[in-house]
Amino acid sequence: MQSFGYRRPGTIDEALALLQEHGDAARVLAGGTDLVIELRNRWRRPKIVIDLKRIEELRPPIREVEGRLVFTALAVMSEIVADERVQLHFPALAEAADVVGSIQIRNRATLAGNICNGSPAADTAPPLLVYGAEVVIAAKNGTRRVAVDDFIIGPGKVDLQPTELVTSIEIPISATPIAAAYTRMTRRRGTDLASITLCCGVDATGTTRLAYGSVGPRALLVIDNSGVLADPAASDEAKAPVLASMFSAASPSPKSMRAGPEYRVAMLPVLGARALRTAIERQTRVP
Amino acid sequence: MKVDNIGAPAQRLGGIDRVTGHQRYVADLPIADTLHAKLVALDCAHARILSIDTSVAEKVPGVVFVMTADDLPTPMPRFGPQYQDRPVIAEGTTNYHGEPVAAVVAETKDAAEEAATLVKVEFEELPAIFTVEAALDPAAELIQDPSIRRPGPFTETNILTEYHFGWGDVDAMDADMVVEHTYAWPMQTHFAIEPHGYIAAPDGDGIIVWSSIQHPYQLQKTVATVLGMPLSKVRVIAPDPGGGFGGKQHPKLEPLVAFMAMRAGRPVRLILSLEEAFQGVRRAGTEVKVRMGLKSDGTLVFQDYVNRFLIGAYGDTGDRISAKASFLSAGPYRTPAVRIVSQAILSHTTPTHPYRGFGIPQVTWARESCLDEAAIALGIDRLEIRLHNLVRYGEEHVPGDTPADGDWAQTVRKAAEEIHWGTPLPPGQGRGIAIGVKSGPTTGLSYATVRFLADASVMVFSGTSDMGQGARTIFAQIAAEELGVSLDRVAVVMGDTAVVPYDQQTSASRSSVLMGNAVLDACRDIQRKIRAMAARLHDVEEAEITVDRGVVHLPDAELPIVDVLKAGLGRMGGEVVGNGEARKEAFPDHPLGGTALFFEFNCTACDVAVDPETGEVTILRHVTVGDVGLALNPVQVTGQDEGAAIMGIGHALMEHLILDDKGRTRNLGAIDYRIPTSLDLPGELHSFSIENADGPGPYGIKGISEGSLLCTAPAVAGAVRDATGAVVRRLPLSPENVWRAMKEKT
Repeated sequence: MQSFGYRRPGTIDEALALLQEHGDAARVLAGGTDLVIELRNRWRRPKIVIDLKRIEELRPPIREVEGRLVFTALAVMSEIVADERVQLHFPALAEAADVVGSIQIRNRATLAGNICNGSPAADTAPPLLVYGAEVVIAAKNGTRRVAVDDFIIGPGKVDLQPTELVTSIEIPISATPIAAAYTRMTRRRGTDLASITLCCGVDATGTTRLAYGSVGPRALLVIDNSGVLADPAASDEAKAPVLASMFSAASPSPKSMRAGPEYRVAMLPVLGARALRTAIERQTRVP
Repeated sequence: MKVDNIGAPAQRLGGIDRVTGHQRYVADLPIADTLHAKLVALDCAHARILSIDTSVAEKVPGVVFVMTADDLPTPMPRFGPQYQDRPVIAEGTTNYHGEPVAAVVAETKDAAEEAATLVKVEFEELPAIFTVEAALDPAAELIQDPSIRRPGPFTETNILTEYHFGWGDVDAMDADMVVEHTYAWPMQTHFAIEPHGYIAAPDGDGIIVWSSIQHPYQLQKTVATVLGMPLSKVRVIAPDPGGGFGGKQHPKLEPLVAFMAMRAGRPVRLILSLEEAFQGVRRAGTEVKVRMGLKSDGTLVFQDYVNRFLIGAYGDTGDRISAKASFLSAGPYRTPAVRIVSQAILSHTTPTHPYRGFGIPQVTWARESCLDEAAIALGIDRLEIRLHNLVRYGEEHVPGDTPADGDWAQTVRKAAEEIHWGTPLPPGQGRGIAIGVKSGPTTGLSYATVRFLADASVMVFSGTSDMGQGARTIFAQIAAEELGVSLDRVAVVMGDTAVVPYDQQTSASRSSVLMGNAVLDACRDIQRKIRAMAARLHDVEEAEITVDRGVVHLPDAELPIVDVLKAGLGRMGGEVVGNGEARKEAFPDHPLGGTALFFEFNCTACDVAVDPETGEVTILRHVTVGDVGLALNPVQVTGQDEGAAIMGIGHALMEHLILDDKGRTRNLGAIDYRIPTSLDLPGELHSFSIENADGPGPYGIKGISEGSLLCTAPAVAGAVRDATGAVVRRLPLSPENVWRAMKEKT
């Protein structure tokens, strides 16, 4: 392990002051499941690591606030998987959180970290996009709120200044619930990084929200308002061309070790149709 | 007291420590005053080293020195199990991705790692050769300078060795149908959970080397040779390895660590990362071209093979693997004419090391898949074509070699019965069956010492390495049986050349047979001494006494051996020491230098489901049947069978090293080199043993540790084809490859 400075602030304000002081030279530690590997392999050489784990304001459990489910920056995947409100309102997020790494990783890895890393293969990105989640960001001069769709920019890039800190991720509990399902393509059934991540959600108005990742620089959200996809009575043949059009922006890298671009492109509508079917089943089960 | 140890499911000696994290591996050894080493390697497959500047690295606090080729004797000491071609550290050029060019020695691991990033190597990257085609191009660069090659017809090529085996005249045979295909097997890595670890420490005028090695005595010889020391001054301590699978057979970085320890005058340790272990050892990739000629009734009339093994930059065991595996290319089938050409081809890649199966899975993949093709083309059942051509008990399958040493049809019929061969499957599912056969060791030498102590407890001394296969338990069971004591009174001492007698190696599924016979022989030596004691104590002629399995048979009484021991040793106490030996002699005229001591014979069958849209393969039911002679410990046999089957499933479905366009290994480490997890196992996995007590080991056992992965890939591929009609001839059977094959079919 390389040498680096280590600070453990007790409040968000202290953390922001440290970020203000060190800027680019600082790296924030929440779960550490990516950061520790980067440090060990010397891929990243921060002068200082700011450990958020003792900040009380970031520690409250998952809670409902003003019609939104709030995940503070320290909420870990296993908490999300086990949370009954997540299972009830956002089952696709529970499904995605449940396949991040192994059990040990899920006990440490945070939802906020999964999004802040900007990995195109982040499992939780597609459901957060489908459910219309927002990122809450604190800075010295106040707090701002950004849709996940705007927050994610590209590989390793998110809309976050070195002096800013993500304090929570929030999902609106909508009056028009979205019934969604998550699925992915991997090389094996056990712990793996996905070669496709995909979430599909439908609502009572006939809107279909489809998000997919690992097939381009960032996870993408595509919305179909035609009503064809969400229609339980529409045939697979009728849906196929609409579904295919949803994936027109996919641009899988030919350099990936996980699967070739031709295969990934061919699998998108296959996974899309499967997730759509599950979403519609869940929709019809909504009371 | 009769103790029935043979055939009992005795609990694994050391098993609880191993699974609870209490076992001490090399990396866990607390050796005082130890320095830490870190390797420096270039991020390319092949390069000319122009200069190495260690000055900045040496200024890192805690760094003791940086070792490069300049610090080693001239000429550079070279070593290897077959060819002395591997340098202690790269000199002038690097010839595979990860070959160390320097090593930092420091007071702490962190300092060594930090300094390793500061060693400045100026180099010129050279085009690397990492495919069969590129290596065989007449214009290709020579991977090895002829000066380090043995003189021969191929010295000016990248073919390390070429063998021609066979019998009959293939070209003169009259076949009704000829099937010809090429089957590819990718490079793979061993992925032992314990990465390789080494410690060396000066010891008076000698040296101690700790290594997670399978062959401690071979390491002793290598270190003695490169350091110019007598064997007696080199002590090798080999704690039980955490998995070996062949990857820990031969010395690799121990000579470098030994030189560093001698220079430092202190212990030096080097524990590899998983990534470095991947760069240290790998399995040969192969391209096997098969031509099979058959009569219309399915009778084989000829088999014709060209086997190309892509080995690494140094010979290591690549030659032996290609030769020994190719020799059995035609398998257990009666074939009038066989022609085999086998090449071991050098490349700028990690040296090929032995890997569980020793090349047999690669040739079996080709033969069994091609036999399926033939059966389907002829409209013959895939089980029937195998039974039809299978040699009978005692019949030679390779003229001049050991004949079939088991009722192999019994094994095949058992597998067919257990998979319910012939019963229908639902659409989208398919069934496959394949046969694998591998020669056990062709030569061998093992010594064992057994000490029968005054309190009737026993110590067994053996140079075998227990890397998880359970050798300790087997030897303890034999000693307990022969000396009539309970298993918990037996200690098995291994892995220290200053303590245990010589053993040639732990490989080729040989230890239960060869070392088992040596332990048995040592127990018999004790039994002879006990007989002499009994004769003295009871005033009977020795000839009238027999000693057998813990019991002394006197003309008019039977006594537990333990009672005779205690009475015989008397008040002074002491012990009775037995020495044993087991040999498999060489046959210089045999193409492999010796006949097979036994065969590992396996039949694997499975049912799969294939996702018609994604190509994902699910193994629903997997059956593996081996001819084991006798299961000395049935639980351990099942454990080895299941472990090998799962490993074989990994090879079939997902494992492959991926090289980039410059020959660098891209999927180093656990993230992108996939092996099966518990979620990837078959829905059902069943292992069965055929036991006719007809093996050359104690009580009729045969070696068993590789059988269940010899033919996994063709069985699974056959089932995938049965389910979908899609033919994959290039492993792995990844969803993408199966999907592509399904698409090409339509």
